Order: sequence, then C-alpha cells, then structure tokens
Amino acid sequence: MERPMSHHKEFLGEKEKIDNLYSKGYRITAVNETLSGAFVEFSRITEEKELETEELQLLNPDTRIYFSTLIHKQQKAQ
Amino acid sequence: MADLRINFAGIKSPNPFWLASAPPTNSGYQVQRAFEAGWGGAVWKTLGEPILNISSRFAGTHFNGQRMAGFNNTELITDRPLEVNLKEIYETKKRFPNHTIIASLMVEPQQEKWHEIVKRVEAVGVDGFELNFGCPHGMAERGMGAASGQVPELVEKQTMWAKEVAETPVIVKLTPNITDITATAYAAVQGGADAISMINTINSLAGVDLDTWNTIPHVAGKGAHGGYCGPAVKPIALNMVAECARNSTINVPISGIGGVSDWRDAVEFMLMGAGGVQVCTAAMHHGFSIVEDMVDGLNNYLDDKGLDSVEDLVGKSVPKYSDWGDLDLNYKTVARINTDTCINCNKCHIACEDTAHQCIDMLTAKDGSNYLKVHEEDCVGCNLCSIVCPVDGAIDMIEIPSDEPMTWKERETAIKQPSCGISLVK
Ligand SMILES: Cc1cc2nc3c(=O)[nH]c(=O)nc-3n(C[C@H](O)[C@H](O)[C@H](O)COP(=O)(O)O)c2cc1C
Ligand code: SF4
Ligand code: SF4
Repeated sequence: MERPMSHHKEFLGEKEKIDNLYSKGYRITAVNETLSGAFVEFSRITEEKELETEELQLLNPDTRIYFSTLIHKQQKAQ
Repeated sequence: MADLRINFAGIKSPNPFWLASAPPTNSGYQVQRAFEAGWGGAVWKTLGEPILNISSRFAGTHFNGQRMAGFNNTELITDRPLEVNLKEIYETKKRFPNHTIIASLMVEPQQEKWHEIVKRVEAVGVDGFELNFGCPHGMAERGMGAASGQVPELVEKQTMWAKEVAETPVIVKLTPNITDITATAYAAVQGGADAISMINTINSLAGVDLDTWNTIPHVAGKGAHGGYCGPAVKPIALNMVAECARNSTINVPISGIGGVSDWRDAVEFMLMGAGGVQVCTAAMHHGFSIVEDMVDGLNNYLDDKGLDSVEDLVGKSVPKYSDWGDLDLNYKTVARINTDTCINCNKCHIACEDTAHQCIDMLTAKDGSNYLKVHEEDCVGCNLCSIVCPVDGAIDMIEIPSDEPMTWKERETAIKQPSCGISLVK
C-alpha cells in the first residue's frame, strides 16, 4: 500500500492557496462545511469597486483551524 | 505538619479518609479496629430490612499481574438485624467520640419507612446519614438502591423524607449507572441534601469461565450482573465528581468514592472537588493498615505544597476542567524521542505506524545503528507513543509555539458570519 500524502504537506499546500488569496486582498466571506470538506469563499473589492469571488475546497483539518483562526483574528481586530 | 481535619458538610472528622459502606464496615469489631488503624471515619454497611446473601458473591478482575485491578460483587446491604447494628454503632461511637460514623440507609420509597429508620438510627448518635441510592443488584429488583437512584424524582422525594426528620447532615450516595449523574445530583440538592457522595458500583459482569462456560462469579451455575469498583473505575468516578463539582447548581460538598487506593488518588479526588474520600476495595485488598500510608503521604504532600490544611486543596483543579468546546484548537504538542534513554524496543514506531499518524521514522546512524526520530511536522501530539513506551523519559511531549488561542466555540461563532468588512451585495 502506498502511504497517503503527508498530512503536513497537504496542509502546507492548502495554506499556501489561502495565503496567496490573502496577499491579493481577498478575505473570507463565507464558509460552508460539508462531508466533502470546507468550501470557503474569498472575496475582494477591486480598484474598480467590483466584487471578485474565489472559492477553495479545503480538506485538511489543520487548514480548517488555520482559516478559522484568520477569521477569528479578523473579527477581533474589527 | 498540616491539619488533616475536615469539616465535611458540618461533619467533623480527624482526617479525610473514610471507609465506604461495604464489608469493611459491617460490624463494630471491624469499625473499631479501623479507627485504631487510623481511619478518620466509617460509613456503616447499609442498614435496612435485614436481607439474605448468596454464595459466592465476589470476583476480581486481575490485569497483567495486578490482582484486583477491578472488583465485582453481588452482595446486598446488611444481613444483620438493625438492633444489633445500632447497639454496635452506639458502642463504637462511645469508644471513638472524635471519629466519624455515618449510617448508610436504604428502605423502600415510602415516607413512613424513611422517617422510622432515620429516627431510630439517629438516636444512637451517628454523625450523619448516607442514603444508598446506588446498589445496582438485588435491592434494585425490589425498587430500592439504583432503581430509586436512577429516577431523579425518587431521589429528590426520598432525600426530602430523610431530611424531614434528620437532625444530622444527610449525604446522598449516587449511582454511576445513569447517563448524566448531574441530573440525580441536582435532584438530591433539590431534596435538601447536605452533601452528595459518588460513586457506588457500576453494572458489570466480571468474566466467563472458558472451560465451564459459567459466569464469574456464579451461583450453582447461574450468574447475575454485579457492581464494579476498585482501581479500574477511578477515571469514571473522578469524572463524575468533577462534573458535579463544576456545576454551580450542585452547590454541596462531595465525598469522592471509586478506586481510591492511595494518598495520590485521594489528592486527585480532592483537587477535583471532593471534600473527603471513601475507600472500599483497597481496604478489602490490603487491610486497614493502608490508611497509615495515606495519612503520611497526604501530610507530606501538603507540607511540600506549603498548604496548612486539607481544605486548601479541595477543588483547586475544578476550574481546569471544562468542555471540549472550550479547549484551544491552536495548542500544539509533539513527541520527541530521547535516543539516550530509548531502548529501541520499537513499540512507539509500531503504535504510530499502525494506529496513529505514521510519523516515527526508523533511521540509521553513521555507525550503522538504528534510531527512531519523530517527524514532528506530521505528529499530531496524540500522546500514543509516550503511552506505550515502557521507558520513563524516553519520549517527551513538547509544547510547540502556536498561533493565538481559539476555542471550538469561538470558531463556531467566527465562521458563522465571517465579518471582514467586504460587502457581499453582488
Ligand atoms: C462487596 C461490596 C459490598 C458493598 N456494599 C455496599 C453497601 O452495602 N452500601 C453501599 O452504599 N455501598 C456498598 N458498596 C459500594 C462501596 O461502598 C463503594 O461505593 C464502591 O465499592 C466503590 O469504592 P471502591 O472502588 O473504593 O471499592 C459495596 C462494595 C463492595 C465491593
Ligand atoms: S504523538 Fe501520536 S502522532 Fe505523534 S509520534 Fe506519537 S503516536 Fe505518532
Ligand atoms: S517505545 Fe520508548 S523505548 Fe521503545 S523504541 Fe520507542 S522511545 Fe524507545
């Protein structure tokens, strides 16, 4: 049997995707947790004042903690 | 020397170590010898209408060389006439006026029956009562013991009936054979209980004989469920004490019972909110003299901690006991193997590889020897390897610096409506 992908590597991959969207100004605007993972919606307002949305399907439990911590921090900062 | 005296719900005792209501407290002879040995108190074997017993009635569950890791019984309450017990309680109290004698009581759920027994027993000078709503076998089939103790209304009502006539404090002893012990604990408090004690024994079947196919124990080839106690039940009892101690609606002292075998167990129960402890199996296993070590150990512990009295200890760990939803999701520990102390038995590797997260690597050093190393990034800090490791100190669980704390409850609130200043109006 082949080993499953390293849990940590999977986390790092998903974290990178989130950080990438964050660096482009996206913020988490909705979370939908299902049996197939967490579907997290990221949105940003462009310079042209348009709303842009991206969605990530996140599978790793550490990523679920990671993005939740981001939202938690966001909310605490407001 | 610290002060070991306790004042438990108004009941004064020279130390917090009481014998639980059971075979060790069956007679004046035994209780007096126990007091001579150093026990602070005794809860007399449950009084009620004298019953008959069966033979045999005990079974030990031995585990991996430890005899009586658990203990099972199908014994009922006292089989001696009330008159005889009362005479012996009176004599024992006269000889040991400063020691605590609690009378355990069990009668049918009828007001007059409770009134009668409380008045008769109080007249011989007991320091308090313990209502037995816990015995899981025999009496339960007649609507008493656990049959009463599993119905909050009956616990409340019967506590009230005892309180209507009792002049000394009333402790209500609860059964663990229930989904949520705080429900019956609360019922006892509503009924006016001055204190609660827990746990009585847990429904159990100790074993089955592979040759005869008889249950263990058996009575002429037939068995019935019994009550389980001893070291094996301590975690269950400790949790039940803790659940009651942290519940603000159950604002009465708790007597901790269930697997207390030494002073350390007693301290754990007291840290988790017990105002004193009761012991049965350990005394049945080793005799009354074990109390000497309990008293010395507790004394030294209190001195080491700079505490003057037992009461300074009670409940100190209760604020640390919470709900899963209050735990920090960002807290992180990982396993670290100390190659100096590791004996290369490989148990941790097998445990992690087969049943945890496949993160203990077997590596070869320059000199050709094998050693184990945890791949810390993949370690979830589950503790399994350190639990199976037979060498103390070969695996440390190390705390890793982590993000700021966030509980599950905070996460739930956060992800419900992630307010981030961006309008969702499209
Ligand atoms: C043989 C035996 C008889 C018992 N009889 C009584 C009893 O009459 N009344 C009672 O309240 N509890 C009775 N118990 C329960 C104990 O008081 C105690 O709650 C239980 O054994 C847990 O404590 P331990 O783990 O220290 O033994 C009995 C226990 C044993 C083992
Ligand atoms: S703590 Fe758990 S995951 Fe980490 S190495 Fe040990 S067994 Fe594996
Ligand atoms: S279980 Fe303990 S002693 Fe055995 S190999 Fe692992 S660390 Fe070493």
